Amino acid sequence: MSKSTNLVLLIDDEPKIRRFLRAGFELHGGFTVQEAENAAEGLRTATFNAPDLIILDLALPDRRGSEVLELIRSWSNVPIIVLSVESNEEEKVRLLELGADDYVVKPFGIAELIARSHAALRRYFKSADENPVVTAGPLSIDLVNRTVLLNNAQIKLTRKQYRLLHVLATHVGLVVTHDKLLEEIWTGNVRKNIQYLRILVRDLRQIIEADPNHPRLLVTESGVGYRLQSRFEDVSIG
Amino acid sequence: MQSHFAGIGTGNAPQLNQELPWHRFLLTNVLPLTMSLLCVGVATGGLLLIDRFFPANLVPIVYLIPVIIAATRWGTWPAVTAAVGGAAAADFFFFPPFYSFRLDDPQAVIDLFLFLFVALISSDLASRLRQETETLRQREHEIQYLYEFSRRLAACFTVSDLIAAIQNYLSGTLGRHTAFFFASLERNFQPEPMGAVPETVRRSAAAMMDKAGLGADTITDEATKSVWLLRAVSSEDATHGVIAVNVGGDSRAAVETRTRHVEAILAEASLTIQRLDIGGAMEEAALRLKDQMLRDAFYGDLSHELRSPLAAIRGSASVLETMPAVRNQERAHSLVEAVTFEAERLDGFIANLLNATRVSASDVRPHIECADPRDVINAAIRRRARQLAAHTIEISFADELPLIDVDSALVEEACGQILENAAKYSPSGSTISIGIRAEQGRVVVSITDQGVGITPDERQQLGLRSFRSQRHDATIPGSGLGFWIASTFVKANDGTIDIVSRGQGQGTTVSIALPAAEIEDDESASRANE
Repeated sequence: MSKSTNLVLLIDDEPKIRRFLRAGFELHGGFTVQEAENAAEGLRTATFNAPDLIILDLALPDRRGSEVLELIRSWSNVPIIVLSVESNEEEKVRLLELGADDYVVKPFGIAELIARSHAALRRYFKSADENPVVTAGPLSIDLVNRTVLLNNAQIKLTRKQYRLLHVLATHVGLVVTHDKLLEEIWTGNVRKNIQYLRILVRDLRQIIEADPNHPRLLVTESGVGYRLQSRFEDVSIG
Repeated sequence: MQSHFAGIGTGNAPQLNQELPWHRFLLTNVLPLTMSLLCVGVATGGLLLIDRFFPANLVPIVYLIPVIIAATRWGTWPAVTAAVGGAAAADFFFFPPFYSFRLDDPQAVIDLFLFLFVALISSDLASRLRQETETLRQREHEIQYLYEFSRRLAACFTVSDLIAAIQNYLSGTLGRHTAFFFASLERNFQPEPMGAVPETVRRSAAAMMDKAGLGADTITDEATKSVWLLRAVSSEDATHGVIAVNVGGDSRAAVETRTRHVEAILAEASLTIQRLDIGGAMEEAALRLKDQMLRDAFYGDLSHELRSPLAAIRGSASVLETMPAVRNQERAHSLVEAVTFEAERLDGFIANLLNATRVSASDVRPHIECADPRDVINAAIRRRARQLAAHTIEISFADELPLIDVDSALVEEACGQILENAAKYSPSGSTISIGIRAEQGRVVVSITDQGVGITPDERQQLGLRSFRSQRHDATIPGSGLGFWIASTFVKANDGTIDIVSRGQGQGTTVSIALPAAEIEDDESASRANE
């Protein structure tokens, strides 16, 4: 799991946004915060202070946020969560493909960002000798033994259903794009067919969700991909 | 196409046309000859008078004077007439035997022949000089008119300006009738003084406008023997009309010259028409650009400027909400919640405005992808959770729902708009039921409320931008954009939206039908799930 105190670097040109982010991260404990008000300062701090997590705003005065993302990704795997005012799905997918771990769309609540941050940190610090069991609500997925328990009872999945759950479990709490899922599960030209993925998700929901019509574990990120929630959040009323 | 007829060339043309042929013949042919002979007579009279006092030795030279006068004023034939007349008069009056045309002296014969020779050569030279001068004057005249024409062309801003310029020019330079037939959809036929334009010409002009692509025609009017040129005045994409010019009927060469002239003018004019077209297009482009710039400004900077403070407000409130001091204090907590709620509402308005901007810019480009209708509806409900909080939401999904081929974000927004309206126009605590079922290759989402319903009148106006019923203006806040955005987004997804209400106070059902995804092969289910 993550360290006792994680250094989070906030790169955003809006002082008021930085202020509430700092308050939010410090209040939730386990974080020390550093701020940068532009891309140049952000890149410098990211290089010299080795943060454990970067919160990156896309609209920076001196450089496009996506460029900063690419630059950091060229030398570091540090978790990066992007803040965007874009609610454009293609843009989100592009950012994820560039290496962002997740995104939140402004305006957002701090709880959402903290949850994403924990998920990203968990994935970053996870090592082989750690417990290979991922828990997501009533589900626990043993990534080594390939067994899945639902409410402590083992359930049986087809090969592809397990593969889907496995990929989502390794990114638990984070969004995984359609393309990534299709690549991980299928081979050949079937990879491009999102219809298969939709059907597979539907079938898996029938097994793991209490109410498959209102999924709370395996949730859809419209136009982007899927997310396995690490715990039940109040999905119905945001 | 109905043509109507505009102004007819003025200038000196009408007087010319009214002259009778024999009158013109007298004026152009008989009069110069008579005048030449009269000059010879005057010269003879003068010589006879001088001869009384002392013998006139320079008779042939004196007779050269009327020849030169005739040549410079009336041309070659009058000059030749003067030369022959002069030779005859000299022989008759001044060479012995006097008062007879007989010549006895060989010297006199040589003198007379020399005179005739010199006279003819001089008359030729003089008449050529006259012609040159005439041509030069004509050129000067034409250049002046052309200059005037180009100045007028530069000041042309509409096709009718241009036509006025052409008419003015042609009647000024050619002294001819010009008539313009507008290719116009207006059906008013202007009864201009047009008796001068023969019926055949009018019919032919109308035929030219009906047949697009026919650019030129030449017609000889049998009654007056004059040739009419018909030329289409057109730009790349439209024929503006047909211009008809009477180029006269005197000689083939003159008609050809005038034809060339008219064609040169029309070529110049068609360039101007293109300029007018380009001008119009540029004006339109400038307008569009302005519009686009406004939209871009809203899309980019303005929405960013509006949303950044909102993000700070919403974010700060969310941090406050988690602070123990606030969380444990009911009053503080509800205030923070109100801040969050209002911030989200404002964000919803901005999103609505952005959507409306997209719709009015025809910038809705759906990214169609296969989606699960359940996901789309759930997301729409989740997104509007706060607005729906006071209502009971009942959802029933049919079993075995097919997938749909849509842009999920657009459909989610459309459903969200309808849900928001349902909540807005129905009492708190009432039920909004959502049903999703499959129906002949479509998936139909129907949203039913127990609200105020709609009247047949209101139903007609729904779907118009910013339509709001006057019944609710005072009581329920709203921009009237919701249904308009929803129906545009649904249509962009190849869907249909239908609204049914049993009337005022009877609730409303909105049904959105969306195209079901086609199963690509039978194996897909098994392939997906092996």
